[in-house]
Amino acid sequence: MFDLTFWLPVMCGGLIAGGSSGLLGVFIVGMRIPFLGVCVAHAALAGAVFGSLLGLTGQALLIPALLGAVATALALGLLDPRRTRMDDNVLLGFLFSFTMGLAFLGIGLFGVLGRSDNDVRSLLWGSLNFCRWRDVWLMLGAAAALAGYVFTFFKELRAILFSREDALAAGIHAPAVWTGFLILAAATLTVNFQTVGGLMIYSLITNPAAAAFQLVKGFRRALVLAVVLGAASGLGGFLISAATDLPSGATIVLLSSVFVALAGLARTSFKRWTASGAGR
Amino acid sequence: MNAPVIELRNLQVRAGKRTLLDLDRFQLGAGETVTLLGPNGAGKSTLLRCCLGIQPPASGEVRVLGQRLSELGFLAATRLRRVIGYVSQFPPVQGELPLTVREVVAIGRTGLAGVFRPLRAEDWRIVDEWLERLGAGHLAQQAFSELSGGEQRKVMIARAMAQEPRLLLLDEPTANLDLGWRERMVETIQNLVEQTQLAILLVCHEIEVIPPGCHRVVLLHEGRIMADGSPESVLSHQQIQSLYGPGLAVLHNRGRHAVVPACSI
Repeated sequence: MFDLTFWLPVMCGGLIAGGSSGLLGVFIVGMRIPFLGVCVAHAALAGAVFGSLLGLTGQALLIPALLGAVATALALGLLDPRRTRMDDNVLLGFLFSFTMGLAFLGIGLFGVLGRSDNDVRSLLWGSLNFCRWRDVWLMLGAAAALAGYVFTFFKELRAILFSREDALAAGIHAPAVWTGFLILAAATLTVNFQTVGGLMIYSLITNPAAAAFQLVKGFRRALVLAVVLGAASGLGGFLISAATDLPSGATIVLLSSVFVALAGLARTSFKRWTASGAGR
Repeated sequence: MNAPVIELRNLQVRAGKRTLLDLDRFQLGAGETVTLLGPNGAGKSTLLRCCLGIQPPASGEVRVLGQRLSELGFLAATRLRRVIGYVSQFPPVQGELPLTVREVVAIGRTGLAGVFRPLRAEDWRIVDEWLERLGAGHLAQQAFSELSGGEQRKVMIARAMAQEPRLLLLDEPTANLDLGWRERMVETIQNLVEQTQLAILLVCHEIEVIPPGCHRVVLLHEGRIMADGSPESVLSHQQIQSLYGPGLAVLHNRGRHAVVPACSI
Protein backbone atom coordinates (compact mmCIF):
# COMPACT_ATOMS: atom_id res chain seq x y z
CA MET A 1 0.00 0.00 0.00
CA PHE A 2 1.36 3.43 -1.01
CA ASP A 3 1.38 5.57 2.15
CA LEU A 4 1.24 9.16 0.88
CA THR A 5 2.08 10.76 4.23
CA PHE A 6 5.34 8.81 4.29
CA TRP A 7 6.21 9.14 0.61
CA LEU A 8 5.11 12.74 -0.06
CA PRO A 9 8.32 14.29 1.39
CA VAL A 10 10.31 11.76 -0.64
CA MET A 11 8.53 12.85 -3.84
CA CYS A 12 9.03 16.53 -2.98
CA GLY A 13 12.70 15.82 -2.23
CA GLY A 14 13.15 14.17 -5.63
CA LEU A 15 11.38 17.05 -7.35
CA ILE A 16 13.45 19.76 -5.64
CA ALA A 17 16.79 17.92 -5.88
CA GLY A 18 16.11 17.30 -9.59
CA GLY A 19 15.09 20.88 -10.30
CA SER A 20 17.95 22.54 -8.40
CA SER A 21 20.54 20.14 -9.82
CA GLY A 22 19.17 20.78 -13.33
CA LEU A 23 19.60 24.52 -12.76
CA LEU A 24 23.18 24.05 -11.53
CA GLY A 25 23.89 21.72 -14.42
CA VAL A 26 23.37 24.44 -17.03
CA PHE A 27 26.42 26.25 -15.60
CA ILE A 28 28.47 23.19 -14.68
CA VAL A 29 27.99 21.53 -18.08
CA GLY A 30 28.12 24.86 -19.94
CA MET A 31 31.42 25.84 -18.33
CA ARG A 32 32.76 22.29 -18.59
CA ILE A 33 33.51 21.85 -14.90
CA PRO A 34 31.80 18.51 -14.13
CA PHE A 35 34.42 17.93 -11.41
CA LEU A 36 32.72 20.61 -9.30
CA GLY A 37 30.19 18.15 -7.83
CA VAL A 38 32.85 15.62 -6.75
CA CYS A 39 35.11 18.36 -5.43
CA VAL A 40 32.37 19.98 -3.36
CA ALA A 41 31.29 16.56 -2.00
CA HIS A 42 34.79 15.82 -0.70
CA ALA A 43 35.25 19.33 0.69
CA ALA A 44 31.96 18.90 2.58
CA LEU A 45 33.12 15.47 3.77
CA ALA A 46 36.39 16.96 5.05
CA GLY A 47 34.43 19.70 6.86
CA ALA A 48 32.07 17.16 8.44
CA VAL A 49 34.93 14.87 9.47
CA PHE A 50 36.77 17.63 11.31
CA GLY A 51 33.48 18.93 12.75
CA SER A 52 32.84 15.45 14.15
CA LEU A 53 36.36 15.24 15.53
CA LEU A 54 35.70 18.55 17.31
CA GLY A 55 32.68 16.98 18.98
CA LEU A 56 29.73 17.92 16.75
CA THR A 57 27.13 15.22 16.14
CA GLY A 58 24.05 14.47 14.02
CA GLN A 59 22.58 17.26 11.89
CA ALA A 60 24.96 19.80 13.45
CA LEU A 61 27.62 18.30 11.17
CA LEU A 62 25.92 20.00 8.24
CA ILE A 63 27.47 23.29 9.43
CA PRO A 64 31.16 22.28 9.08
CA ALA A 65 30.22 20.38 5.89
CA LEU A 66 28.78 23.60 4.45
CA LEU A 67 31.83 25.55 5.61
CA GLY A 68 34.16 23.10 3.86
CA ALA A 69 32.14 23.24 0.64
CA VAL A 70 31.87 27.04 0.69
CA ALA A 71 35.61 27.44 1.41
CA THR A 72 36.35 25.36 -1.69
CA ALA A 73 33.90 27.42 -3.75
CA LEU A 74 35.61 30.61 -2.55
CA ALA A 75 39.03 29.27 -3.50
CA LEU A 76 37.75 28.30 -6.94
CA GLY A 77 36.03 31.63 -7.50
CA LEU A 78 38.71 33.95 -6.17
CA LEU A 79 41.85 32.29 -7.52
CA ASP A 80 42.58 33.94 -10.83
CA PRO A 81 43.31 31.24 -13.48
CA ARG A 82 45.76 33.61 -15.22
CA ARG A 83 47.78 34.11 -12.05
CA THR A 84 47.69 30.51 -10.88
CA ARG A 85 48.32 29.35 -14.48
CA MET A 86 45.76 26.60 -13.91
CA ASP A 87 42.45 26.31 -15.70
CA ASP A 88 39.32 25.62 -13.68
CA ASN A 89 39.45 21.86 -14.17
CA VAL A 90 43.09 21.60 -13.06
CA LEU A 91 42.30 23.79 -10.05
CA LEU A 92 39.29 21.59 -9.27
CA GLY A 93 41.50 18.51 -9.56
CA PHE A 94 43.94 20.04 -7.08
CA LEU A 95 41.20 21.09 -4.64
CA PHE A 96 39.54 17.66 -4.98
CA SER A 97 42.74 15.79 -4.13
CA PHE A 98 43.53 18.21 -1.28
CA THR A 99 40.08 17.95 0.34
CA MET A 100 39.97 14.19 -0.21
CA GLY A 101 43.35 13.90 1.51
CA LEU A 102 42.05 15.99 4.42
CA ALA A 103 38.88 13.87 4.66
CA PHE A 104 40.79 10.57 4.71
CA LEU A 105 43.27 11.97 7.21
CA GLY A 106 40.35 12.88 9.47
CA ILE A 107 38.69 9.46 8.98
CA GLY A 108 42.00 7.85 9.92
CA LEU A 109 41.99 9.88 13.12
CA PHE A 110 38.61 8.35 14.08
CA GLY A 111 40.37 4.96 14.26
CA VAL A 112 43.32 6.41 16.16
CA LEU A 113 40.98 8.04 18.68
CA GLY A 114 38.74 4.95 18.83
CA ARG A 115 35.59 6.83 17.77
CA SER A 116 32.79 6.02 15.31
CA ASP A 117 32.49 7.84 11.98
CA ASN A 118 28.88 6.73 11.29
CA ASP A 119 27.49 10.25 11.70
CA VAL A 120 29.80 11.58 9.02
CA ARG A 121 29.01 8.83 6.55
CA SER A 122 25.23 9.12 6.96
CA LEU A 123 25.35 12.89 6.62
CA LEU A 124 27.06 12.89 3.25
CA TRP A 125 25.64 9.84 1.55
CA GLY A 126 21.94 10.00 2.26
CA SER A 127 19.15 8.20 0.42
CA LEU A 128 16.06 9.76 -1.14
CA ASN A 129 13.82 7.15 0.52
CA PHE A 130 14.70 8.54 3.94
CA CYS A 131 13.97 12.15 3.00
CA ARG A 132 11.70 13.83 5.57
CA TRP A 133 9.97 17.22 5.68
CA ARG A 134 12.87 18.84 7.52
CA ASP A 135 15.17 17.82 4.67
CA VAL A 136 12.65 19.06 2.11
CA TRP A 137 12.55 22.52 3.69
CA LEU A 138 16.34 22.64 3.79
CA MET A 139 16.61 21.66 0.13
CA LEU A 140 13.86 24.09 -0.81
CA GLY A 141 15.66 26.92 1.00
CA ALA A 142 18.95 26.20 -0.80
CA ALA A 143 17.18 25.82 -4.17
CA ALA A 144 15.22 29.06 -3.67
CA ALA A 145 18.40 30.96 -2.77
CA LEU A 146 20.13 29.59 -5.88
CA ALA A 147 17.16 30.34 -8.16
CA GLY A 148 16.87 33.86 -6.70
CA TYR A 149 20.55 34.47 -7.36
CA VAL A 150 20.29 33.22 -10.95
CA PHE A 151 17.22 35.43 -11.48
CA THR A 152 18.97 38.50 -9.99
CA PHE A 153 22.21 38.07 -11.92
CA PHE A 154 20.64 36.51 -15.00
CA LYS A 155 22.39 38.66 -17.61
CA GLU A 156 25.76 38.62 -15.82
CA LEU A 157 25.68 34.82 -15.47
CA ARG A 158 24.77 34.49 -19.15
CA ALA A 159 27.88 36.52 -20.02
CA ILE A 160 30.08 34.51 -17.64
CA LEU A 161 28.75 31.27 -19.08
CA PHE A 162 29.88 32.46 -22.51
CA SER A 163 33.36 33.44 -21.32
CA ARG A 164 34.58 34.69 -17.95
CA GLU A 165 37.43 36.60 -19.59
CA ASP A 166 35.16 38.26 -22.16
CA ALA A 167 32.68 39.16 -19.42
CA LEU A 168 35.46 40.77 -17.38
CA ALA A 169 36.75 42.64 -20.45
CA ALA A 170 33.23 43.93 -21.16
CA GLY A 171 33.02 45.62 -17.74
CA ILE A 172 31.01 42.96 -15.89
CA HIS A 173 31.78 42.14 -12.24
CA ALA A 174 32.57 38.59 -13.33
CA PRO A 175 34.77 37.39 -10.43
CA ALA A 176 32.30 38.60 -7.76
CA VAL A 177 29.18 37.26 -9.51
CA TRP A 178 30.85 33.92 -10.28
CA THR A 179 32.16 33.49 -6.73
CA GLY A 180 28.69 34.21 -5.34
CA PHE A 181 27.22 31.60 -7.67
CA LEU A 182 29.84 29.01 -6.67
CA ILE A 183 29.09 29.56 -2.96
CA LEU A 184 25.37 28.96 -3.50
CA ALA A 185 26.13 26.02 -5.77
CA ALA A 186 28.32 24.48 -3.06
CA ALA A 187 25.62 24.99 -0.43
CA THR A 188 22.93 23.49 -2.67
CA LEU A 189 25.09 20.50 -3.57
CA THR A 190 25.98 19.82 0.08
CA VAL A 191 22.33 19.91 1.16
CA ASN A 192 21.31 17.70 -1.76
CA PHE A 193 24.14 15.22 -1.15
CA GLN A 194 23.21 14.70 2.49
CA THR A 195 19.55 14.18 1.61
CA VAL A 196 19.48 12.16 -1.59
CA GLY A 197 23.03 10.85 -2.15
CA GLY A 198 25.89 11.47 -4.54
CA LEU A 199 25.16 9.16 -7.48
CA MET A 200 21.78 10.71 -8.08
CA ILE A 201 23.07 14.28 -7.80
CA TYR A 202 25.93 13.72 -10.26
CA SER A 203 23.52 12.39 -12.87
CA LEU A 204 20.97 15.15 -12.20
CA ILE A 205 23.65 17.81 -12.67
CA THR A 206 24.80 16.48 -16.02
CA ASN A 207 21.88 14.80 -17.76
CA PRO A 208 19.05 17.39 -17.69
CA ALA A 209 21.42 20.16 -18.85
CA ALA A 210 22.90 17.95 -21.57
CA ALA A 211 19.39 17.07 -22.81
CA ALA A 212 18.25 20.72 -22.70
CA PHE A 213 21.32 21.85 -24.69
CA GLN A 214 20.35 19.34 -27.40
CA LEU A 215 16.80 20.58 -27.67
CA VAL A 216 16.69 24.37 -27.37
CA LYS A 217 18.53 27.54 -28.30
CA GLY A 218 18.74 30.41 -25.83
CA PHE A 219 19.89 30.70 -22.22
CA ARG A 220 16.45 31.20 -20.67
CA ARG A 221 14.93 28.24 -22.50
CA ALA A 222 17.88 26.00 -21.60
CA LEU A 223 17.56 26.96 -17.93
CA VAL A 224 13.81 26.30 -17.82
CA LEU A 225 14.05 23.01 -19.71
CA ALA A 226 16.97 21.74 -17.59
CA VAL A 227 14.99 22.49 -14.40
CA VAL A 228 11.87 20.77 -15.81
CA LEU A 229 13.81 17.70 -16.99
CA GLY A 230 15.70 17.52 -13.65
CA ALA A 231 12.47 17.72 -11.65
CA ALA A 232 10.78 15.20 -14.00
CA SER A 233 13.73 12.80 -13.53
CA GLY A 234 13.60 13.14 -9.73
CA LEU A 235 9.85 12.69 -9.42
CA GLY A 236 9.33 10.35 -12.39
CA GLY A 237 12.22 8.10 -11.36
CA PHE A 238 10.78 7.79 -7.87
CA LEU A 239 7.28 6.95 -9.19
CA ILE A 240 8.74 4.28 -11.50
CA SER A 241 10.64 2.90 -8.53
CA ALA A 242 7.47 2.84 -6.41
CA ALA A 243 5.49 1.09 -9.16
CA THR A 244 8.17 -1.51 -9.93
CA ASP A 245 9.85 -1.95 -6.54
CA LEU A 246 13.22 -1.11 -8.08
CA PRO A 247 15.81 1.09 -6.26
CA SER A 248 14.81 4.75 -6.60
CA GLY A 249 18.36 6.09 -7.11
CA ALA A 250 18.87 3.79 -10.08
CA THR A 251 15.51 4.57 -11.72
CA ILE A 252 16.09 8.33 -11.35
CA VAL A 253 19.58 8.11 -12.88
CA LEU A 254 18.34 5.89 -15.71
CA LEU A 255 15.32 8.09 -16.46
CA SER A 256 17.55 11.19 -16.70
CA SER A 257 19.85 9.22 -19.04
CA VAL A 258 16.84 8.27 -21.18
CA PHE A 259 16.02 12.00 -21.50
CA VAL A 260 19.52 12.64 -22.88
CA ALA A 261 19.19 9.78 -25.38
CA LEU A 262 15.73 10.94 -26.49
CA ALA A 263 16.93 14.54 -26.84
CA GLY A 264 19.87 13.38 -28.97
CA LEU A 265 17.53 11.31 -31.14
CA ALA A 266 15.09 14.19 -31.50
CA ARG A 267 17.85 16.59 -32.51
CA THR A 268 19.35 14.19 -35.06
CA SER A 269 15.92 13.45 -36.55
CA PHE A 270 15.10 17.17 -36.75
CA LYS A 271 18.40 17.91 -38.50
CA ARG A 272 17.80 15.11 -41.02
CA TRP A 273 14.25 16.31 -41.58
CA THR A 274 15.34 19.91 -42.23
CA ALA A 275 18.30 18.76 -44.37
CA SER A 276 15.94 16.70 -46.55
CA GLY A 277 13.92 19.85 -47.25
CA ALA A 278 10.78 18.55 -45.59
CA GLY A 279 10.98 21.21 -42.94
CA ARG A 280 10.83 24.09 -45.40
CA MET B 1 44.54 69.22 -28.54
CA ASN B 2 42.58 66.18 -27.37
CA ALA B 3 44.20 63.99 -24.75
CA PRO B 4 45.43 60.68 -26.14
CA VAL B 5 43.03 57.74 -25.75
CA ILE B 6 45.94 55.49 -24.83
CA GLU B 7 49.22 56.68 -23.41
CA LEU B 8 51.94 54.30 -22.27
CA ARG B 9 55.17 55.52 -20.67
CA ASN B 10 58.25 53.51 -19.64
CA LEU B 11 56.10 50.39 -19.64
CA GLN B 12 57.63 47.06 -18.69
CA VAL B 13 55.72 43.81 -18.50
CA ARG B 14 57.47 40.66 -17.34
CA ALA B 15 56.61 36.99 -17.02
CA GLY B 16 59.12 35.64 -14.51
CA LYS B 17 62.51 36.79 -15.73
CA ARG B 18 61.34 37.23 -19.32
CA THR B 19 60.47 40.73 -20.51
CA LEU B 20 57.29 40.68 -22.60
CA LEU B 21 57.08 44.44 -23.22
CA ASP B 22 59.57 47.24 -22.83
CA LEU B 23 58.21 50.49 -24.29
CA ASP B 24 59.47 54.03 -23.72
CA ARG B 25 56.37 55.71 -25.08
CA PHE B 26 53.26 54.83 -27.10
CA GLN B 27 50.19 56.93 -27.86
CA LEU B 28 46.89 56.39 -29.62
CA GLY B 29 44.99 59.57 -30.41
CA ALA B 30 41.23 60.11 -30.54
CA GLY B 31 39.76 58.88 -33.83
CA GLU B 32 43.06 57.30 -34.79
CA THR B 33 43.47 53.77 -36.17
CA VAL B 34 46.79 52.17 -35.34
CA THR B 35 47.98 48.69 -36.30
CA LEU B 36 50.43 46.84 -34.07
CA LEU B 37 52.41 44.54 -36.29
CA GLY B 38 55.02 41.99 -35.36
CA PRO B 39 55.90 38.32 -35.27
CA ASN B 40 54.47 35.90 -32.73
CA GLY B 41 55.66 36.69 -29.22
CA ALA B 42 56.40 40.35 -30.02
CA GLY B 43 54.17 41.53 -27.16
CA LYS B 44 51.20 42.75 -29.24
CA SER B 45 48.44 40.98 -27.32
CA THR B 46 50.17 41.79 -24.02
CA LEU B 47 49.98 45.47 -24.92
CA LEU B 48 46.22 45.19 -25.54
CA ARG B 49 45.71 43.40 -22.23
CA CYS B 50 47.70 46.13 -20.44
CA CYS B 51 45.33 48.74 -21.92
CA LEU B 52 42.38 46.72 -20.58
CA GLY B 53 43.95 46.54 -17.15
CA ILE B 54 43.91 42.74 -17.06
CA GLN B 55 47.70 42.46 -17.45
CA PRO B 56 49.43 44.40 -14.67
CA PRO B 57 52.77 45.93 -15.72
CA ALA B 58 55.94 45.47 -13.70
CA SER B 59 56.62 49.21 -14.01
CA GLY B 60 55.60 52.26 -15.99
CA GLU B 61 52.39 54.10 -16.58
CA VAL B 62 49.26 53.13 -18.52
CA ARG B 63 46.69 55.85 -19.15
CA VAL B 64 43.48 54.95 -20.95
CA LEU B 65 40.84 57.58 -21.71
CA GLY B 66 42.69 59.95 -19.39
CA GLN B 67 42.69 57.56 -16.42
CA ARG B 68 45.83 56.10 -14.91
CA LEU B 69 45.03 52.38 -14.54
CA SER B 70 47.29 51.83 -11.53
CA GLU B 71 45.19 54.32 -9.56
CA LEU B 72 41.86 52.68 -10.35
CA GLY B 73 40.20 50.37 -7.89
CA PHE B 74 38.37 47.23 -9.00
CA LEU B 75 35.02 48.99 -9.47
CA ALA B 76 36.50 51.96 -11.37
CA ALA B 77 38.51 49.63 -13.63
CA THR B 78 35.34 47.61 -14.34
CA ARG B 79 33.47 50.85 -15.22
CA LEU B 80 36.28 51.92 -17.56
CA ARG B 81 36.18 48.58 -19.40
CA ARG B 82 32.53 49.22 -20.26
CA VAL B 83 33.64 51.85 -22.80
CA ILE B 84 36.45 49.73 -24.22
CA GLY B 85 35.40 47.21 -26.86
CA TYR B 86 37.76 44.23 -26.84
CA VAL B 87 37.76 41.34 -29.29
CA SER B 88 40.08 38.55 -28.20
CA GLN B 89 42.18 36.50 -30.57
CA PHE B 90 39.90 33.48 -30.59
CA PRO B 91 36.18 33.31 -29.76
CA PRO B 92 35.56 31.15 -26.68
CA VAL B 93 35.11 27.44 -27.34
CA GLN B 94 31.39 26.87 -26.96
CA GLY B 95 30.76 23.15 -27.38
CA GLU B 96 27.03 22.65 -27.17
CA LEU B 97 26.25 25.83 -25.23
CA PRO B 98 22.93 27.03 -26.69
CA LEU B 99 23.47 30.81 -26.44
CA THR B 100 22.02 32.58 -29.46
CA VAL B 101 23.98 35.14 -31.46
CA ARG B 102 21.68 37.90 -30.15
CA GLU B 103 22.41 36.85 -26.57
CA VAL B 104 26.15 36.89 -27.23
CA VAL B 105 26.01 40.42 -28.67
CA ALA B 106 23.89 41.47 -25.68
CA ILE B 107 26.91 40.73 -23.45
CA GLY B 108 28.19 44.07 -24.75
CA ARG B 109 25.23 45.83 -23.07
CA THR B 110 25.35 43.81 -19.84
CA GLY B 111 27.91 45.89 -17.94
CA LEU B 112 26.43 49.18 -19.18
CA ALA B 113 22.91 48.25 -18.04
CA GLY B 114 24.14 48.01 -14.43
CA VAL B 115 23.73 45.33 -11.79
CA PHE B 116 20.17 44.34 -10.71
CA ARG B 117 18.69 45.80 -13.93
CA PRO B 118 17.57 43.72 -16.88
CA LEU B 119 18.44 44.81 -20.40
CA ARG B 120 15.95 47.39 -21.66
CA ALA B 121 14.33 47.68 -25.09
CA GLU B 122 16.93 50.31 -26.01
CA ASP B 123 19.75 47.84 -25.23
CA TRP B 124 18.18 45.22 -27.49
CA ARG B 125 17.68 47.84 -30.23
CA ILE B 126 21.43 48.59 -30.14
CA VAL B 127 22.21 44.85 -30.21
CA ASP B 128 20.01 44.37 -33.30
CA GLU B 129 21.39 47.50 -34.93
CA TRP B 130 24.99 46.29 -34.70
CA LEU B 131 24.06 42.83 -35.93
CA GLU B 132 22.43 44.45 -38.97
CA ARG B 133 25.28 46.92 -39.55
CA LEU B 134 27.80 44.09 -39.61
CA GLY B 135 25.61 41.99 -41.91
CA ALA B 136 24.86 39.36 -39.27
CA GLY B 137 21.19 40.20 -38.63
CA HIS B 138 20.06 36.96 -40.26
CA LEU B 139 22.11 34.97 -37.71
CA ALA B 140 20.45 36.56 -34.65
CA GLN B 141 18.49 33.50 -33.52
CA GLN B 142 21.11 30.91 -34.43
CA ALA B 143 23.25 29.27 -31.76
CA PHE B 144 26.67 30.96 -31.63
CA SER B 145 28.34 27.53 -31.48
CA GLU B 146 26.87 26.59 -34.86
CA LEU B 147 28.45 29.52 -36.74
CA SER B 148 31.58 29.36 -38.88
CA GLY B 149 34.81 30.88 -37.54
CA GLY B 150 34.38 34.01 -39.68
CA GLU B 151 30.76 34.50 -38.62
CA GLN B 152 31.76 34.09 -34.98
CA ARG B 153 34.46 36.74 -35.38
CA LYS B 154 31.88 39.17 -36.84
CA VAL B 155 29.53 38.51 -33.94
CA MET B 156 32.36 39.20 -31.49
CA ILE B 157 32.97 42.57 -33.16
CA ALA B 158 29.23 43.30 -32.97
CA ARG B 159 29.40 42.45 -29.25
CA ALA B 160 32.27 44.90 -28.74
CA MET B 161 30.51 47.62 -30.78
CA ALA B 162 27.26 47.13 -28.86
CA GLN B 163 29.15 48.61 -25.90
CA GLU B 164 29.24 51.87 -27.91
CA PRO B 165 32.91 52.02 -26.98
CA ARG B 166 35.29 54.98 -27.13
CA LEU B 167 38.18 52.64 -27.82
CA LEU B 168 38.19 49.40 -29.82
CA LEU B 169 40.91 46.80 -29.28
CA LEU B 170 41.05 44.06 -31.92
CA ASP B 171 43.41 41.17 -31.27
CA GLU B 172 44.17 39.37 -34.55
CA PRO B 173 40.58 39.42 -35.82
CA THR B 174 41.53 37.39 -38.89
CA ALA B 175 43.49 34.61 -37.15
CA ASN B 176 42.68 31.18 -38.67
CA LEU B 177 40.26 32.62 -41.25
CA ASP B 178 40.33 31.67 -44.92
CA LEU B 179 41.14 34.27 -47.58
CA GLY B 180 37.49 35.13 -48.29
CA TRP B 181 36.63 35.71 -44.64
CA ARG B 182 39.89 37.57 -44.09
CA GLU B 183 38.92 40.09 -46.78
CA ARG B 184 35.40 40.43 -45.34
CA MET B 185 36.90 41.19 -41.92
CA VAL B 186 39.24 43.82 -43.41
CA GLU B 187 36.20 45.40 -45.09
CA THR B 188 34.31 45.33 -41.77
CA ILE B 189 37.17 47.04 -39.95
CA GLN B 190 37.53 49.60 -42.75
CA ASN B 191 33.80 50.39 -42.47
CA LEU B 192 34.23 50.94 -38.72
CA VAL B 193 37.17 53.28 -39.41
CA GLU B 194 35.10 55.28 -41.92
CA GLN B 195 31.76 55.30 -40.11
CA THR B 196 32.77 55.79 -36.48
CA GLN B 197 34.99 58.26 -34.69
CA LEU B 198 36.53 55.47 -32.67
CA ALA B 199 40.12 55.08 -31.65
CA ILE B 200 41.05 51.62 -32.92
CA LEU B 201 44.08 49.57 -31.94
CA LEU B 202 44.41 46.57 -34.25
CA VAL B 203 46.84 43.74 -33.61
CA CYS B 204 47.90 41.51 -36.50
CA HIS B 205 50.93 39.78 -37.87
CA GLU B 206 49.96 39.86 -41.55
CA ILE B 207 50.33 43.19 -43.30
CA GLU B 208 47.57 42.19 -45.74
CA VAL B 209 45.09 42.68 -42.89
CA ILE B 210 45.91 46.36 -42.36
CA PRO B 211 42.84 48.33 -43.52
CA PRO B 212 43.28 51.22 -45.98
CA GLY B 213 42.09 53.69 -43.34
CA CYS B 214 44.89 52.81 -40.93
CA HIS B 215 46.73 55.97 -39.86
CA ARG B 216 49.84 54.46 -38.29
CA VAL B 217 51.66 51.18 -38.11
CA VAL B 218 53.78 50.28 -35.10
CA LEU B 219 56.29 47.49 -35.55
CA LEU B 220 56.94 45.47 -32.41
CA HIS B 221 59.76 43.01 -31.99
CA GLU B 222 60.68 41.21 -28.77
CA GLY B 223 58.62 43.65 -26.77
CA ARG B 224 60.19 46.81 -28.21
CA ILE B 225 58.99 49.31 -30.80
CA MET B 226 61.14 49.04 -33.92
CA ALA B 227 59.27 51.60 -36.01
CA ASP B 228 56.25 53.87 -35.71
CA GLY B 229 54.81 55.91 -38.57
CA SER B 230 52.59 55.91 -41.63
CA PRO B 231 52.03 52.46 -43.19
CA GLU B 232 54.05 53.29 -46.29
CA SER B 233 57.03 54.57 -44.29
CA VAL B 234 57.07 51.72 -41.78
CA LEU B 235 56.33 48.86 -44.16
CA SER B 236 59.54 49.17 -46.13
CA HIS B 237 61.51 46.26 -47.63
CA GLN B 238 64.25 46.83 -45.06
CA GLN B 239 61.92 46.81 -42.04
CA ILE B 240 60.07 43.72 -43.20
CA GLN B 241 63.31 41.89 -43.97
CA SER B 242 64.78 42.78 -40.59
CA LEU B 243 61.63 41.51 -38.92
CA TYR B 244 60.79 38.39 -40.91
CA GLY B 245 64.05 37.53 -42.70
CA PRO B 246 65.66 38.20 -46.08
CA GLY B 247 64.12 37.61 -49.50
CA LEU B 248 60.87 39.49 -48.84
CA ALA B 249 59.46 42.60 -50.50
CA VAL B 250 56.39 44.75 -49.85
CA LEU B 251 53.77 45.90 -52.34
CA HIS B 252 51.55 48.91 -51.64
CA ASN B 253 48.36 49.58 -53.57
CA ARG B 254 45.56 51.99 -52.61
CA GLY B 255 46.19 51.73 -48.91
CA ARG B 256 46.53 47.95 -48.93
CA HIS B 257 49.84 46.16 -48.46
CA ALA B 258 51.18 42.70 -49.23
CA VAL B 259 54.38 40.79 -48.63
CA VAL B 260 55.74 38.84 -51.60
CA PRO B 261 59.02 37.05 -52.36
CA ALA B 262 61.56 39.67 -53.50
CA CYS B 263 62.38 37.58 -56.55
CA SER B 264 58.80 37.88 -57.82
CA ILE B 265 58.95 41.65 -58.43
